[in-house]
Amino acid sequence: MKKYCFWIIILLFLAGSCTNKTDSGQPKKVAVIVSTLNNPWFVVLAESAAAEAKSLGYEAKVFDSQNNPALEADHFENAIVSGFSAILLNPTDSDGSIVNVQKAKDAAVPVFCMDREVNSSKVATSQILSDNYSGCVAIGEEFVKDLNKKGNYVEILGMVGDNNTWNRSKGFHSVVDRYPGLKMVAQQSGDFDRNKAMDVLESILQAHPDINAVFCGNDAMAMGAYQALVAAGKAKDVGVYGFDGADDVMNSIRDKKIKATGLQSPQTMAKTAAQFADTYFKGKRDFAQRIPVAVELVTQKSIADYEPSAKP
Amino acid sequence: MNATIARRKTRNRPWTYVVAIILFLFLAYNSVYIKKLDEVKAAGSAGTGKFDAATYAKTFWNTKLIPSAAGGAVDLSTLLSLLKTDKDKAFTTYSQALGIGNIRYFLVKGEGTVTAVSDNDVTLSLPSGETIRLATEYIFGNAARDASGLIKITEFDNTTDLNNVSAAINDIIRKDVIPPLKAAAKPGKKIAFVGAIELNRAHLHLDDIEVIPISAR
Repeated sequence: MKKYCFWIIILLFLAGSCTNKTDSGQPKKVAVIVSTLNNPWFVVLAESAAAEAKSLGYEAKVFDSQNNPALEADHFENAIVSGFSAILLNPTDSDGSIVNVQKAKDAAVPVFCMDREVNSSKVATSQILSDNYSGCVAIGEEFVKDLNKKGNYVEILGMVGDNNTWNRSKGFHSVVDRYPGLKMVAQQSGDFDRNKAMDVLESILQAHPDINAVFCGNDAMAMGAYQALVAAGKAKDVGVYGFDGADDVMNSIRDKKIKATGLQSPQTMAKTAAQFADTYFKGKRDFAQRIPVAVELVTQKSIADYEPSAKP
Repeated sequence: MNATIARRKTRNRPWTYVVAIILFLFLAYNSVYIKKLDEVKAAGSAGTGKFDAATYAKTFWNTKLIPSAAGGAVDLSTLLSLLKTDKDKAFTTYSQALGIGNIRYFLVKGEGTVTAVSDNDVTLSLPSGETIRLATEYIFGNAARDASGLIKITEFDNTTDLNNVSAAINDIIRKDVIPPLKAAAKPGKKIAFVGAIELNRAHLHLDDIEVIPISAR
């Protein structure tokens, strides 16, 4: 009889471990630690991750790191001490965040990175990242076709310390550099900032008034570049290319002001991260370290496929 | 006794300074690393630097893709017909992608008659009536890498290696497949091909199919 009781208790424990609840009967908790909530793009990322975690039966709480790795470290400490079972992370710094992810790993808390990576393949359980490189390969191909393989162009880079900046630039150049008729007359950083990109292009136009196109590392800078071209009376002659799929650029493509962009999907990355946490709790361990999320090329031809967002 | 120790200390002091200076120089030399920005850029975001994409691509091409391409590919006319009648089934059954999202790839085969040749592609008319293009200029992207489903994402722990594999496979196509295809492509000639196509699952367009050729004869 004692033997049967023992096995019944074991089976009860096993059954209990298959739920989304912790030992105290409460749902497992998932922390969403995001680099900043000052940018609407990251708000969508954080809210989508939290919503998906909740829909899967978990408690979810969003932490704002305010682009500060030290604050991110505090959030990690809190999440670990407060008994969060998984962390969905949008890191503040590809290198600086490694130590935080390592702390969670040491505490047996899985971390799933969203959109931005950490420069280590040993600490996060999995990293779900926009395929910046391939997205910019597609933009580069469109760029070459639009310019018929010849012309002068400017590249406005994002923040030089950001991996996404270089992945985008490398993808673009992997195509464009094969065509000797296309000459890059200037390459400068606009720090992913609309106003800075406008200033940068204004000064470049002083030295190189004869450009045919501008490739920008994100959509905010594409809008700034377009403004600079309008001010210089060149908006109709110079094609502008961005990256992100931001509403204002999608609308500008619709209005034939911007040539093309790469549409990222923060919702897909966020939902996938939450779903990965769910499957982790259910026992899966063989996650790919980095999973690319497709970026869709949006041009003046394909923009009809995408619903216009409600204008305020 | 104390005077002797003091003299000994005074005699030893120059050596102490020399050791301290050597130690300082050693630490300073090993604390500062100067690299060219180009080298840092070339190192990539997460590349290991050990992975040889060209060798990987060549092995994949010779031992996996080419031997299984014709057998593993779906007839393009059959696929187009299924995409028109049951899109979800067509994507679920035949599409592949290493990443996630709407962009999916198909390994396809077919035979058609050349109707036009341009700098960028060869236009074929399929027996079923559809017109498709075999790309000869813009050989970019991940179609040839992903369409067969023979490469697994878990083989790679960084995206730089993955991207380099695509570029290396596309180089093989440019070097080995495109020149004979361009030489043979004359209006009226029949061409049998195996290739890869990219389609967007959410925004499907079948009116301008471009095939990245993997083999053509």
